[in-house]
Amino acid sequence: MTTVDEREVSSAVAGKAGAPLIEVRGVRKRYGALDVLRGVDLNVRSGEVAVVIGPSGSGKSTLLRCINCLEEYHEGEIYYSGQLVGYLKDSRGRRKKASSASMCRLRATMGMVFQNFNLFPHKTVLENIVEGPIVVLKEQRASATKRALDLLGGVGLAAKANCYPEELSGGQQQRAAIARALAMRPRALLFDEPTSALDPEMVGEVLAVMKDLAKQGMTMVVVTHEIGFAREVADTVAMMDEGSVVESGSPESVLANPAERRTIDFLSKVL
Amino acid sequence: MSNFNLGMVLSYHSLLIQGALTTLVLTIGSAAIGGVLGPCIGMLRASSYRWLSWVSGIYVELFRATPTLVQVVWVYFALPVITGVQLSGFVSVLLTLGLHEGAYVGEIFRAGIKSIDKGQMYAARAIGMSYRQSMQRIILPQAFKRMVPPLVNEFASLMKLTSLASVIAVPELLHAADNVISFTFRPMETYTAIAVIYAILVLPIIALAGYLDRKSGRTSR
Repeated sequence: MTTVDEREVSSAVAGKAGAPLIEVRGVRKRYGALDVLRGVDLNVRSGEVAVVIGPSGSGKSTLLRCINCLEEYHEGEIYYSGQLVGYLKDSRGRRKKASSASMCRLRATMGMVFQNFNLFPHKTVLENIVEGPIVVLKEQRASATKRALDLLGGVGLAAKANCYPEELSGGQQQRAAIARALAMRPRALLFDEPTSALDPEMVGEVLAVMKDLAKQGMTMVVVTHEIGFAREVADTVAMMDEGSVVESGSPESVLANPAERRTIDFLSKVL
Repeated sequence: MSNFNLGMVLSYHSLLIQGALTTLVLTIGSAAIGGVLGPCIGMLRASSYRWLSWVSGIYVELFRATPTLVQVVWVYFALPVITGVQLSGFVSVLLTLGLHEGAYVGEIFRAGIKSIDKGQMYAARAIGMSYRQSMQRIILPQAFKRMVPPLVNEFASLMKLTSLASVIAVPELLHAADNVISFTFRPMETYTAIAVIYAILVLPIIALAGYLDRKSGRTSR
């Protein structure tokens, strides 16, 4: 079931290995008086999978939304492919908000998968997937459709192309949402608790698709409570609490031998 | 009730039909103005630019917080004093009810847009769509389906509101009735007759709204 077309991903991996594709430096964000992010650092190299864990309210989802400009951050810097996210710097180093057009271009190259799938309910699964390629990338409908069907085959949903999202199970909806993100040929995929809204028996099918993508070298940032997935797939695990990364490193170090009290406490609750 | 004489009233049926036609024209005309204005107001209200949403909010609340009858007489009697331009009764009512509808339709639009889950906007933006594309292709088509029943209901209310035009002598149905009464001295029969005519005009619209509401409840598509 879960063989996402390797050609889809290989182009995304071709970027320079070594340099971080996503670089988060000292990012701070406030909602009114509340500090949601208090200086977050995170590096994700091309082809790497970074898993972000931590209790709810620790700022994980906000971090993802800042990375692809769905929300603005107030201090620090986020670089994607060497480009500053959300801001422009003038010659004196002062920054102003980037134009909305440039933010749209950036988002188009970065896929996002949501906890609640957020498929468009008034469109069929196929229409959901071709929407971005046709409207944003200005692809021809015929070629976009062909590719969408390939992608749907890759996530095991070829038979569901003409169904509406409400006719699909949660797991199927999330796999369709992954196909929708892939249709934009993203250089990186962000997953915001992709299995948290699923019935337990459907978690596996979604994780299988994600493992497949990881195997093919897709750069991914995954916010999840699935510690097993992190252990198996992650190159880096970052533990967040109260708006900052309290511990990060290889899964062996963070998950098997956590140094931080808060990581130990958190792992004891979710495992 | 001993001498309920409908025949006498019905002999003036051409006046009543003329009145009903004016009622229809006023309804459709002001619905058209409101139908153009309302979506713009609704979009401004839902926008993240605070001052746009604020200014449009003042307009909406002004029309929601004052009696429609007061709006009608104000535009007819007070506005000319300020502007020096006397509008005809018909145009005054058309303008007033059009602006009134703009406010109410605007609220329906705003509520419709707000009722769509925030994740839909996130998902649209996440695939690189602009705000405008996201609105046009993702948010509004979903919101519009939810707006149709309240919009149809609003149209029915509007038709009843046109009766206010009689106070400034616009010859719509209620004013036509007053004329008929002045000839026949039959208020009971005449008012009964126009009540029935109003009901005949409005009931199908209410029935349509109910049908659309039940239909949209069955599916989210």
